[in-house]
Amino acid sequence: MSSRRVGDLALFMPGMGWLAVFFVVPLIMIFVVSLGSRDAYGGVVLDRLSFDNYLRALAPAFLPTALNSVKYATATTILAILVSYPIAYWISRYGGRHKVLLLVLVMLPFWTSWVIRTYAWMIILRDNGVINGILGGLGLTSEPIMLLNTDLAVILGMTYGFLPFAILPLYVAIDRVDEAVVAAARDLYSSGRGAFLHVTLPLTMPGVIAAAILTFIPAIGDFVTPDLLGGAQTITIAKVIQTLFLTDKNWAYGAALGFMLMVVTVVVTVGTLRVLRREVIG
Amino acid sequence: MSRPRRDGAPDMEGALARYLIERRMSRRQVLGRMATLGAAAAVGSVAAACTTGATAEPEPSGASAAPSGSPAPTPQPTPESELYVYNYADYIGEDTIPSFEEKYGIKVTYDFFDTYETMTAKIATGDSGYDVTFATGVDVPGFLARELVQPLDLSQIPNVVNLAPEWQDPAYDPGNQHSMPYMWWTTGYGYDTEKIPEELTSWAALWDSRWKGKMAMLDDYRETFAVALIRLGYSINTTSDSELDEALALLQEQKPLLRKYTADDIGDLSSGDVWLCHAWGADVSQAATERESLAYVIPEEGGIRGSDAMVLLANAPHPIAAHLFINYMLDAEVSAANTNYIYYMGPNEAAKAYIDPAILEDPTLNPDKAAIDKLQEILDLGPDLEKYQTRWTTLRAGA
Amino acid sequence: MRRDRNPLLTVYAWLVYGFLFAPIVVLILFSFNDSKRNFIWRGFTLKWYPTLFANDALLNALVVTLEVALIAVVITTILGTLLGLGLARLRSGAAGSVSDTMIILPMVAPEVVIGISLLIFFALLFDAHGSVLQISIAHVAFSISYVAIIVRARALSLDPRMEEAARDLGASALGAFWHVTVPLLAPAVGAGAMIAFALSFDDLIITSFNAGVGSSTLPLYIYSRIRFGVTPEINAISTIVVAVTALLLLIGWRVGVIRAGARRSRPTPAAGIV
Repeated sequence: MSSRRVGDLALFMPGMGWLAVFFVVPLIMIFVVSLGSRDAYGGVVLDRLSFDNYLRALAPAFLPTALNSVKYATATTILAILVSYPIAYWISRYGGRHKVLLLVLVMLPFWTSWVIRTYAWMIILRDNGVINGILGGLGLTSEPIMLLNTDLAVILGMTYGFLPFAILPLYVAIDRVDEAVVAAARDLYSSGRGAFLHVTLPLTMPGVIAAAILTFIPAIGDFVTPDLLGGAQTITIAKVIQTLFLTDKNWAYGAALGFMLMVVTVVVTVGTLRVLRREVIG
Repeated sequence: MSRPRRDGAPDMEGALARYLIERRMSRRQVLGRMATLGAAAAVGSVAAACTTGATAEPEPSGASAAPSGSPAPTPQPTPESELYVYNYADYIGEDTIPSFEEKYGIKVTYDFFDTYETMTAKIATGDSGYDVTFATGVDVPGFLARELVQPLDLSQIPNVVNLAPEWQDPAYDPGNQHSMPYMWWTTGYGYDTEKIPEELTSWAALWDSRWKGKMAMLDDYRETFAVALIRLGYSINTTSDSELDEALALLQEQKPLLRKYTADDIGDLSSGDVWLCHAWGADVSQAATERESLAYVIPEEGGIRGSDAMVLLANAPHPIAAHLFINYMLDAEVSAANTNYIYYMGPNEAAKAYIDPAILEDPTLNPDKAAIDKLQEILDLGPDLEKYQTRWTTLRAGA
Repeated sequence: MRRDRNPLLTVYAWLVYGFLFAPIVVLILFSFNDSKRNFIWRGFTLKWYPTLFANDALLNALVVTLEVALIAVVITTILGTLLGLGLARLRSGAAGSVSDTMIILPMVAPEVVIGISLLIFFALLFDAHGSVLQISIAHVAFSISYVAIIVRARALSLDPRMEEAARDLGASALGAFWHVTVPLLAPAVGAGAMIAFALSFDDLIITSFNAGVGSSTLPLYIYSRIRFGVTPEINAISTIVVAVTALLLLIGWRVGVIRAGARRSRPTPAAGIV
């Protein structure tokens, strides 16, 4: 047993090692920066280290933006999973010989630049854009509907952007489930729905969890989509952090806020994972 | 590598100390290098500019009354064979780099940054590897204070005589000792005359609730605060807390009327989603090629003038080639070619002979003297910049 | 299997693919737009394609991007797979929680934080100021987690007895790993690799802080054009990338290189989720 244990450890050392050197160490460096303060020139002063920046980061002024980020990320995650599950299922069960091709087709749009993709969405959603053009042409509307620069546009854009992050892990999980098991379940529960709810869904739960993580977490950090597709009111915490670093040149404060975001997200995610694991997996 | 201390944190002080010893620099310099630049520096010249207004003092070694063509550089040390330039993509004439390469046989690597802020963050380390970059005039004093740029050897830049008189001694860099102006612009607002059939002349239009949801302000805190400050009749470089609070309140009144804070004024105006947009003049001119009904206004209360400048970075690996390049960019024809391509107005008097007449006659790009007199320049504010930044965050982050 | 095919599901699938490709269609269409800007259709033209090929900066950026993506994807996939597998097997409390947290951190950290931390790291410790290698290292650091999570999810549902069985039958540890576990993990590894490629190819912020002289990538180029107008040249190059990839796919499919996972494992009915 212990040699297997060593073997297992050996498996993940290279990956962990890379993370340790090229992620954790720089992170520690920037943590030190977050304890510092900003000097007159926007440089970092490390003379008096303190947690002042963290206290400032708890300012109530940030609450609306933090809530915005959570709102968008949550909506995006739920929507992405709801949209992705059936298509992942379809590829796995109906794809046959073309499964891999179909999967790669899912990824294909994402090998273009997101700037262009977002511009394309802007072309589609704007007041004189494709959708309004069609609606107006069909006589359904007399005035263009404001689609761009709204919450709707942001969530749509974000869901679109994270779709492959949801489809792929869901596919991997669904594909794993043996057809025979599903057929047996269908007989047992005498309905497709019963089989799905009681057998397929629980069996694919790790995939759903993976999809949720892979969508929610980066979504919290996405500041570009809300920035380009959103309006004056849709600022996110990620954008605030970005602004603090680059525009305000306040690396210390930005770093502190960034760390707070990370800590909160990690705690929430790991906590949810534990609960889910216990409940779902047992 | 550093040895971890008891509490697990790596020995930053030790690492820094070793770095210092190797580099034989002062601690202050390292701290300066370690983060991005900010502001403040030549407080003296800034204060002088604020109180007396930017009056040009003729630079003895360069200015002459009649700008001539393109004098050849006086005999100078041999340039290096390469040059590294860092700029926005396409913010230079189409042919400028290739013709420079051909003329002097120097290979140019022209790199581009995605945003201006990335550039400032990268060169803040003091050793980005680049020779020349393009800094906004406001930032030059700050770069200088952080020792991120080196003084220019003006004897290698004879073309400086081509600069218009008002650019021979800018407030941000007296005598152009550390930078050479590149392009300048104005900020006002653009609007669609078809959607808004009135003739607008005041900043107040951007607070008009009739255009609710169809307006945008620039996603730039100095520019946006400047508008509010101008409306209130204060200096756009004020550091008074009470004045800034008033400006903030004014902007908060405006926010519900806005569709967005934009970084792409051209796109917004030309797509028609925004009818009234706080914008840079050259941008409105660009957008007007897509949507002819656009008009540009430098409001009667006053507008803003901005510019950027070429700087020679500290630790530039090819300083001589860099000087050659900067001089080349000040050549009348080259400057005109740049202007004709990117549609921004240059500070080069001699170039006017070669600039596309359409540009010279376009008041959006080349406003007349009356308009220019109404312009204020955004200046470096040093540590007081934070007053603007915190209020901007409050404005953006609040409901 | 065939009798319970739901045609509605197929319709749905087509709709989803439509949704996925809608912006791409618009993108491709606008690469023929006779206008310097992207927003308004002015007329049909082919001129952006030849212009693109004359644009050295753009082409160079594409080459750099592909170089970085190649290096990053290979390393990320290998390390990420090993990591995911190790995590799935290592379930005990302490190590489990710590690794869970470590894995999530790169995904949670705001890109600007990661980017600047690496900038400082490389500048202070290695006096490095950006290069293809530096970008690749950065990309690996932030994408390992994605691969690891996908592989872990898959590995969690693998029966560990399969490998044991192979060992019993005489295979070496490495052999059992290579001939049994790896094929079982293949779909997850493939999925991870595809995500890693997309992440690297399109990364902007972290790359911007770690690029140096001569190592600008395509996203950097494109984003730097936003201020002055994203010309249809960008659409053109994206169209070409999509077209080339689609072409390679087609060839691969015809040639039979791409085949569905014919070797799928069969878990015992009582395997459950764990």
